[in-house]
Amino acid sequence: MARTVLICDDALFMRTMLGEILKQAGFEVVGEAQTGAEAVEQYRELKPDLVTMDIVMPDMGGIDAVRAIVKEFPKARILMCSAMGQQALVIEAIQAGARDFVVKPFQPSRVLEAVQRVLG
Amino acid sequence: MDVDRFRALYAAEAEEHLQRLSESILALEAGGEEASQALAAAFRAAHTLKGMAASMGYGAVTEQAHALEDRLDAVRAGTLVVDAELVDALLAAADRLQAAALDPSPGRAATAAPVGTAGRDRSGLARPAGVPAVRVRLEEDAPIKAARALLAVAAARAVGGVTGTLPAEFDEAFDGRFLVLLEEDADAEAVTAALRAAGEVASATVERGDAQAAGRARPARATTTQVRVDQRRLDEVAERVAELAVLQGRLAEYAGARDVGAVNGMGDVASRISTVASELQHAVLSMRMVPVADVFQRFPRVVRDAARSLGKDVELVMEGQDIELDRAILDEIVDPVVHLLRNAVDHGLESNEARRAAGKVPRGQIRLAAERERTSVRFTLEDDGGGVRQEAVVARARERGVLPADFEGVLEGDELFRILSHPGFSTATEVTEVSGRGVGLDAVVNRVRALGGAIDMRTRTGQGTAFVMRLPLTLAVAPALQVRVGQEIYAVPLTHVAEAVDFALTSVRVDGTGEWLVLRDEPVRLIRMRAVLGVDPAGGERAAVVAESGERRFALGVDEIVRREQILVKAFHPGVGALPLFSGATLLADGRPALVLDPLSVS
Repeated sequence: MARTVLICDDALFMRTMLGEILKQAGFEVVGEAQTGAEAVEQYRELKPDLVTMDIVMPDMGGIDAVRAIVKEFPKARILMCSAMGQQALVIEAIQAGARDFVVKPFQPSRVLEAVQRVLG
Repeated sequence: MDVDRFRALYAAEAEEHLQRLSESILALEAGGEEASQALAAAFRAAHTLKGMAASMGYGAVTEQAHALEDRLDAVRAGTLVVDAELVDALLAAADRLQAAALDPSPGRAATAAPVGTAGRDRSGLARPAGVPAVRVRLEEDAPIKAARALLAVAAARAVGGVTGTLPAEFDEAFDGRFLVLLEEDADAEAVTAALRAAGEVASATVERGDAQAAGRARPARATTTQVRVDQRRLDEVAERVAELAVLQGRLAEYAGARDVGAVNGMGDVASRISTVASELQHAVLSMRMVPVADVFQRFPRVVRDAARSLGKDVELVMEGQDIELDRAILDEIVDPVVHLLRNAVDHGLESNEARRAAGKVPRGQIRLAAERERTSVRFTLEDDGGGVRQEAVVARARERGVLPADFEGVLEGDELFRILSHPGFSTATEVTEVSGRGVGLDAVVNRVRALGGAIDMRTRTGQGTAFVMRLPLTLAVAPALQVRVGQEIYAVPLTHVAEAVDFALTSVRVDGTGEWLVLRDEPVRLIRMRAVLGVDPAGGERAAVVAESGERRFALGVDEIVRREQILVKAFHPGVGALPLFSGATLLADGRPALVLDPLSVS
């Protein structure tokens, strides 16, 4: 059975691109969220094997979403997706319980390495 | 791979390749087959250096080596023609590369640390002594290194046994190098594995104990001299030390027993200890020995540079490069030899035109040879120039008041050399850039003497000049003869001793010029030490130590030759100043102090 992933990003382009990378690696994209609140809601419903989380999203940012998810599901495996220059936010997300991070622009190999580590 | 661990190795090896690079560039001028081999060697050296520097992350060094490699490649392809200018340029490039390669830190700190922390180089992060730790370095291009370090440390903490990190917090300036400090009994291997699995970790290595921490705090290359030691020599020392420990145990046992058997046993142990100690001494000393090639290899460059700046064509021939000598002595003679080499190029050798006019080969030759003698090494530095001009020396000596103003005559034997090495004496009509001013032959003589060596000169008009230096093999201990004059015991280092003779087996001849010891039908001047040392001549000398310096031989008459032993010569405190007859003091085997006689200063 393919592993499931929930992709959280407010940009369609990013969701599509990430989705392509993960699908090629054998994941099934079971949900897509555009806000932090949606991310938390969908996590409860889908319990995916993996979550990719953008940092800056409207209506509850990625970091708050991480806190909310991890509080309820301590074993949640969340991969942060950050842009350059968000060093402090990435550190905060990790302290909140994110398992790893990748930096945009995405290189498929780097994304998949990070996914491996998160799931490993 | 943790590159910090390899820094000392890098430095030592880089030096070798740099040396080979310079040598090979010099050899390009030779032309023919030798030049093409030299080109290949230079290319290999530059290439190897480039690879080493890149592995260490020394960007500037890598680039410079690469640029040099490109130029050498152009020579190989024939687009650059080898001439003196090109060789000059290549040598200059090699010099710059050397400066960068041996001290790569400034460039590296600048590239590794962001603005605001420029110069702050954490690569030498010191581990607290005695605290085990894992040294981690993140990949150079890992983004957001502070976050990566945080993940890695979290993974390490999950394993357990982690007490903290250095630096304690990872800020914006964090350069990707950190230490994970561990409890004494932590599972360091498991922690290391967790750190490695955290992603983008270039290296993670366990460090324990104090030695490495100390070495880390201060890079070795700045303060110590590294000597490569043959493993077998180390094994030999370890074996002897182990045997000493066993002997000590036996000694303790006998000391407890206190019976006749024990006394005999202690005698056996004592004699065995003395054997082991001398084997140990030999083994340790042999570690200090390095081939003279280690320093000789710099000399072709010295000669070439001097010759180029004077417009002369000079060939340097070196012999005996495999002769071994104490590193400490070898390092000390570099300056004197460089001085003599420059002198030879500048004053010793005539201009190419003058040589041609004199019917000589236009290219001057300097020969530098090392030869092993009994307990010393002899260096001969010989040029085939015009020789020292007596008249010029005499004229200058009179002018300087070194010789009486009305001196007329010929300087015999070593008189010429004594005058030449008089402080401040110079016969060169102009002070040239090559030989420099101020430091003259007297500095060379003093340095050689300070090392317990001797120097002589021979010169022949039209045929050249040779300097012969004789140096002890090692500074640490020297074999010496214990001799007695009156009530006192003196030590005479064997460096200058040719033989010891008993008056009963030879004859003493007296003539108007003094006393002569007849050795195998040859008269050798006899100097009675009782007279020299102001001891009552009654009782008289019954033996002699025959000393030699260059071609000169003379005999020092002493009451008795007591024995031969190894002595550790202690130089006098500088406050004491130079004592005319003695080069230092030593402790004899029985614990009594003795003065060390310098035979050359007696004659």
